[in-house]
Amino acid sequence: MIRALVLILLAAPAAAQTVPQFVEETTPAGLEHSFAGEWEYMVGGGVAAFDCNGDTLPDLALAGGTAPAALFLNQSARGGALAFTAVVSGIEMEGVTGTYPIDIDSDGITDLVLLRVGENVVMRGLGNCRFERANEDWGFDGGDAWSTAFAAMWEAGASLPTLAIGNYINQREEAYPWGSCTENWLHRPDGGGYGAPVALTPSHCALSMLFTDWNGSGRKSLRVSNDREYYEGGQEQMWHLEPGQPPRLYTEAEGWKRLRIWGMGIASTDLDADGYPEFYLTSMADNKLQRLVATGPDATPDYGDIAWARGVTAHRPFMGDDLRPSTGWHAQFADVNNDARADLFVAKGNVWEMPDFAMADPNNLLLQGADGVFVESAGTAGVASTLAARGAAVVDMNADGALDLVVVNRNGPAQIWRNAGVAGNWLKVALEQPGPNPTGIGAWVEVRTKDHLQRHETTSGGGHVSGIWGPQHFGLGDADRAEVRVIWPDGQVSDWAEVAANTVATISP
Amino acid sequence: MHRRRVLGLGAAALTAVLLPARAQVASDPRSVLTNWYKLSLQLVRHTATYSPPVASRAFGYLGVTGYEAVAACDEGMTSLAGQLNGLTTLPRAGDGVHDAAAVLQAALSATVAHFFSNTGPSGQRALATMTRKLDAQVAQGLAPEVLRQSVGLGQAIAAHIIDWADVDGGAVVENMGFAQSYRPPADPSAWVPTSLIRQQQAPLLPDWGRVRPFAMPAGNTCALPPPPVYSEDPTSDFYAEAMEVYTATKALTDEQALIARFWSDDPMLSSTPPGHWIFVANDLISRHNLPLTVSVDMMARLGIGMADAFIGCWHDKTEYNLLRPVTYINRVIDKDWKPLLITPPFAEYPSGHSTVSAAAATVLTGVLGEAFAYEDFTHEREGLDARSYASFWQAADEAGISRLYGGIHFRSAIEQGMEQGRCIGAHAVSLRTLA
Repeated sequence: MIRALVLILLAAPAAAQTVPQFVEETTPAGLEHSFAGEWEYMVGGGVAAFDCNGDTLPDLALAGGTAPAALFLNQSARGGALAFTAVVSGIEMEGVTGTYPIDIDSDGITDLVLLRVGENVVMRGLGNCRFERANEDWGFDGGDAWSTAFAAMWEAGASLPTLAIGNYINQREEAYPWGSCTENWLHRPDGGGYGAPVALTPSHCALSMLFTDWNGSGRKSLRVSNDREYYEGGQEQMWHLEPGQPPRLYTEAEGWKRLRIWGMGIASTDLDADGYPEFYLTSMADNKLQRLVATGPDATPDYGDIAWARGVTAHRPFMGDDLRPSTGWHAQFADVNNDARADLFVAKGNVWEMPDFAMADPNNLLLQGADGVFVESAGTAGVASTLAARGAAVVDMNADGALDLVVVNRNGPAQIWRNAGVAGNWLKVALEQPGPNPTGIGAWVEVRTKDHLQRHETTSGGGHVSGIWGPQHFGLGDADRAEVRVIWPDGQVSDWAEVAANTVATISP
Repeated sequence: MHRRRVLGLGAAALTAVLLPARAQVASDPRSVLTNWYKLSLQLVRHTATYSPPVASRAFGYLGVTGYEAVAACDEGMTSLAGQLNGLTTLPRAGDGVHDAAAVLQAALSATVAHFFSNTGPSGQRALATMTRKLDAQVAQGLAPEVLRQSVGLGQAIAAHIIDWADVDGGAVVENMGFAQSYRPPADPSAWVPTSLIRQQQAPLLPDWGRVRPFAMPAGNTCALPPPPVYSEDPTSDFYAEAMEVYTATKALTDEQALIARFWSDDPMLSSTPPGHWIFVANDLISRHNLPLTVSVDMMARLGIGMADAFIGCWHDKTEYNLLRPVTYINRVIDKDWKPLLITPPFAEYPSGHSTVSAAAATVLTGVLGEAFAYEDFTHEREGLDARSYASFWQAADEAGISRLYGGIHFRSAIEQGMEQGRCIGAHAVSLRTLA
C-alpha cells in the first residue's frame, strides 16, 4: 500500500537546494571540552543532546575519555548566538566513551546512559540537570568492558526499555587485541528492574547498534555494525527480538548477506518514503548506503549498496591535497537546509596516526538534491573541520528551526556551529503517550506537504556513541502547512493532522 | 656459545611467549622466529596497504632476514648474498661470541617494525609488546657483552636488508595500492572494475610486475602464453570457459563452497594467500619440531618464491589485462549472476592464488618432501575447521580450483597460474643454503 503511494508522493518539492551557512561559535559559546585518551579511547567520544531543565533547548552531555564527562547547559537566546555553561550535574566521571539520553523510567525526566571503559552507568534524571546513579535501583549490571555502542526500545508491555550495549576489544589484551571482541549485552526488563544481561554472541566488536523496523512488519530488529579490524569470523549483524524469546541472529538462509566493513556508525531514514528505512554505515574508505533489494511483505534482509549512485561514498577528503582514504564515524540524516529532503552529516577523523588514511580528513555535509543524489557541501557550509571527529549531533540548539551542529573530537576541542539560517520552513514533531515509552520510541512519523512525503523512524541509539532526545525536525521547503500522522509502536495509526509550519506539533495517540 | 642446530626440543618449547606461561626454553631461536611470523600474519591482515603482493614482498624480506641472522652465526650455512638480485655481502658474526636467538630477535624485531611501520595503533602496541617480551626472553642468561654483540649484529643485518629492500620498486604503496585512475581500453576483453567501491575503480598495483624479483632474473622470466582469445561465440573456447564457471557455481556442492571459502584469503579480512602458506609453514615448525636451520631455510625460500610469484603473476596480469568472469557472464550469459567470492579488483589472467600456491608447493615439497601430509589450521580461529592434505601439491591444486568454485577465475588462469608458480618456485628451490 505504501509502495503505491510513493509513486505519487515522491515528486520533489519546488524549493531549490540551498547551502546553509554555519558559523563556528565554540569559543564564544563557552563550549570548552575535549574527549581525551590513548589506546582505550581511539574510538568513542559521544555527545547527548537533550533538554534537562525543561526550557525546550537541548543541553549537551559530552564524553570525556580520561577526562570527566561534562554537562553543558544551553543558554542560547532563541534565534541568537549559541551559549553554553558547564554545570555540575553528577555525570562527571572518567572513562566515559559515549552518552545516550533516554527516559528509562518514563517519569518525563530524561535519564542518561553512560558507556564507559569499565562499568557502564545509568544516570536517573532528577530534574534541573541533576543526575544520580541508578544501576542498583534499576538492577542494571554495568559490567566491566570497553563499551562502544547503544540502542534502546520498549518491547510490548514492558515498563522499562530493553537496552542493547555493544562492546569492543578486551581492553586488557595488550599483545593480540585482534579476535578479542567481548560480548555484547541485551538488558531486558525483569519485574520492576532489569534481569541479568543476555550475551549477544557471537559478538564482533560493535561500534554502533540500532533497533529498527527494517521490513515494515511492526517488529523491531537489532542492527549491529562491527569493526572488522578486530573480529575473526565476524560480519555485520542483525538480530531477531521476538517477545519472550531469546535474541536470534538473522541467517543467510533468511536472506542476510555477509558484509564485512570497518563498521563505525549507523544512520537511518526512509529516503524514498517507501516504508522501508535505508541505512548508512560509516567505515574506512567507502561508506555504505543500503537499500533493500526487494520490498514487500516477503522482503528478506538483502541489501544493495547505493552509496555511489547517491553520491555518499565519502571515501576520501573532498578538499585539500590529502588523497588518502577517509575514516568515517558518526552519521546522521537531517534536513539542514529545510528543503524537505534529508541531508547527511558524517564525522571524519583518523583513528590514531594511521598513515595510510587521511590525517586532514574533513567532516562531510552531503545535501540531498531533488534527484536523490547528495552533493558535498561541508566546505561552503563552513563545517569542514579537519580535527579528529568522532561523535556528533545535528540538532536545533537555538530554537530557530535551523539545525545546528556539535562535534566531539578526539584529543582536541569539541566544536559547535550555529546554522545561520535557511529559507525553508520547518516543523518539529513531539510524540507524547501515556505510560511507558512516553516519547514513542519505535514510532514512525510521516509528514506530508502537497505531493511530498517524508517518513522517519523514531529511534534511540545508532550513530557513533551519540544520541538526541527531543522532537523530530522536518524541513518543509516553501510549504506553510503540513499534515502529520504517526504509526505508533503498537501499530495504531493516527489520523492525518494538519499543522502550521514553523511550529512544534505535539502528537498523541 | 654459538647456538647451532637446536635439536631435540619439544613442540612446547616453541610456544608463543605471549601465550599463557608454559614450560619453554627461554631463548630458543625458533620461538623468536615463530612469534614474529605470528605477529606478522596479524599485521598483514590489519595494515591497510597489505594486499597480497605487498604481503608477499614483506614475507620475502622477513624470510631472508631470519635466514641471514642464523647464517651469520653458523659457518655451515651459505649466505644468500650474491644469489638474490641486488643483495650484497651481509655482516657475519666474526670472532666475537654471539647468541643466535639474540641476533635473530634483534634482526626480526627491526625488520618487522620497518615493514609494518604504517600499521595502526593496535599494531604498534603489539609490536612494542612483542619486542619488549622477546628482548627480555633472549637476554635471560646471556652475558651483557654477548647480548650487546648479538644485538649489534642483528641490527646490522636488519639495516642491510632494509637498505636492500627500499630500492626494489615496491617500497612505496599509496592509496592502498590502487591506481588513481583507469580508463578501460575499447577492447571488450579488457578488465573493467567489478566493484561498487569507489577506491577500486582502478586496478590494484598495476606496476607490481616491475618490482625487482628476489631469485628469478626478471618479472617476465616465467611469462605465460596468452589466455584463450576473447569471443562471445558459444562455440568458442572462451565462451566454454565462462560457461564452465557459470555452471559450476550454479551447482556448487557444500564441499566445493567450503573449499572456495577456505582459500578465499581476502585482503584486510585474512592474512592473504601468501599469509595462508606462511601460516602453514610456521605451524609446521612447531608441530614437527623442525630444526632451526631447516626452519629459517624453509621460511626464506617460501617467502622468496611467493614474492617472485606475485611479481611474475602481476607482470602477466598487466600484459593481458583480461576481464573477470562476472563481467563476461553478466554481459553474455546471465546478467544477474553473482560469484560466491568477492571478485578481486584487478585483471584476471593468471590467477594469483594459483601462481603463489604452486610456488609455495614447489618450495615446501623441496624442503619437506613429496608426500608430506599435514593439517591446515589457518582459519580455525575464524570458525573454519582444519583441512587435511596428503601433500603440498594436493593443497595447492585445491587452492587453484577454489577460484573457479568461487566464480572469480576461468580455468586457463588457474592452470597456467599453476605452471607459472612451478617455474618461479624452482628458482627459490635452486638457491644454495645449507650445503
